[in-house]
Amino acid sequence: MMTNPVRRITQGQFSYLPDLTDTEISMQIQYGLDKGYAWSVEYTDDPHPRNTYWEMFGIPMFDLRDAAGVLLELNNCRKTFPQYYIRLMAFDSTRGVETIVMSFIVNRPENEPGFSLVRQEAPGRTIRYTVHSYATDRPETERGSL
Amino acid sequence: MDAVNKASAATGEVKGSYLNVTAGTVEDMYERAEFAKELGSVVIMVDLVVGWSTIQSISNWSRKNDMILHMHRAGHGTYTRQKNHGISFRVIAKWLRLAGVDHLHTGTAVGKLEGDPMTVQGYYNVCRDSYTKQDLPRGLFFDQDWADLRKVMPVASGGIHAGQMHQLLDLFGDDVILQFGGGTIGHPGGIQAGAVANRVALEVMVKARNEGRDIKNEGTDILRQAAKGCSPLQQALDTWGEISFNYTPTDTSDYSVTATAAV
Repeated sequence: MMTNPVRRITQGQFSYLPDLTDTEISMQIQYGLDKGYAWSVEYTDDPHPRNTYWEMFGIPMFDLRDAAGVLLELNNCRKTFPQYYIRLMAFDSTRGVETIVMSFIVNRPENEPGFSLVRQEAPGRTIRYTVHSYATDRPETERGSL
Repeated sequence: MDAVNKASAATGEVKGSYLNVTAGTVEDMYERAEFAKELGSVVIMVDLVVGWSTIQSISNWSRKNDMILHMHRAGHGTYTRQKNHGISFRVIAKWLRLAGVDHLHTGTAVGKLEGDPMTVQGYYNVCRDSYTKQDLPRGLFFDQDWADLRKVMPVASGGIHAGQMHQLLDLFGDDVILQFGGGTIGHPGGIQAGAVANRVALEVMVKARNEGRDIKNEGTDILRQAAKGCSPLQQALDTWGEISFNYTPTDTSDYSVTATAAV
């Protein structure tokens, strides 16, 4: 993280802004609901750039049209996994889209371990790269706490 | 590729750099594309000047090799700008969508390269619509059902800067690639400060729009406010904030007779 000017992972929307308050988060949720999107809450302690599918905190809220309800789910997740990354995601079911159209991180561990870049020297001068999550250096049962 | 991977590790985001495989023959292009793949690139680029069968070939290659294909429209101006001869870029955009490219340079309307905002929006619609409705001011002459034909991500590139973020978002919406070249590299605080300025400007504008603000009219204020907490953005606005490109586009839609310099 030291080489990143904002000192944290910057996936998704709003990572370069100060953390959104619950009121600000509610406004984003409402915007998505007005567009007909379905919200879901996901968490992980390994936000590797290729870790596309985080763990689902409950199932996506396809039928929930109330911003306060989505925020309640998010805060339940925060209570359960205070030291994990948590993100809110909005799914657009429109034919031809059918994908996540909004995604932003709403909870982060106190210390973000970040990633190392592993260089494997291959024949010739070929270098093969691997992005490695420091978080995964510890067994899963020992992660998610300070 | 070392820098691309370093950026990925520093941010947690998948990063890429367009490696241009344009060459004199399609065989040379395959060779360059294979080399890009071997280096671990996620994306290659091709210039429009290579011609249609080559574009189709490299597009097919890209599908087979999990590669994103970035289409640069270099050369289009030689035949898309005149009203009395040539091919409209709207048609070129359709052909390129049919060819299966992933990204396509489609203009900025507010940057250094000319383009009438409505006509440019027409190109964007051709890239992104599932069903295009007749829209004469945008140069769309008839309804078109695109069925399940894959969409193309339009690219706004050329003379755009952080101070125009509200206009870009208002004109083109969410599904667009905004490329700030000089608007990043030319930042007085360096390239990294330029990148931070652009990203902060984008995020603050999307946030404001979603919160119901009228970004078209309040955009400049929103940026100024955000710059108070972000010195790179302040520097960017001080450098480019006042710069706009005022011209009368020649490339207007011609559903009604319009006076142009080219006639």
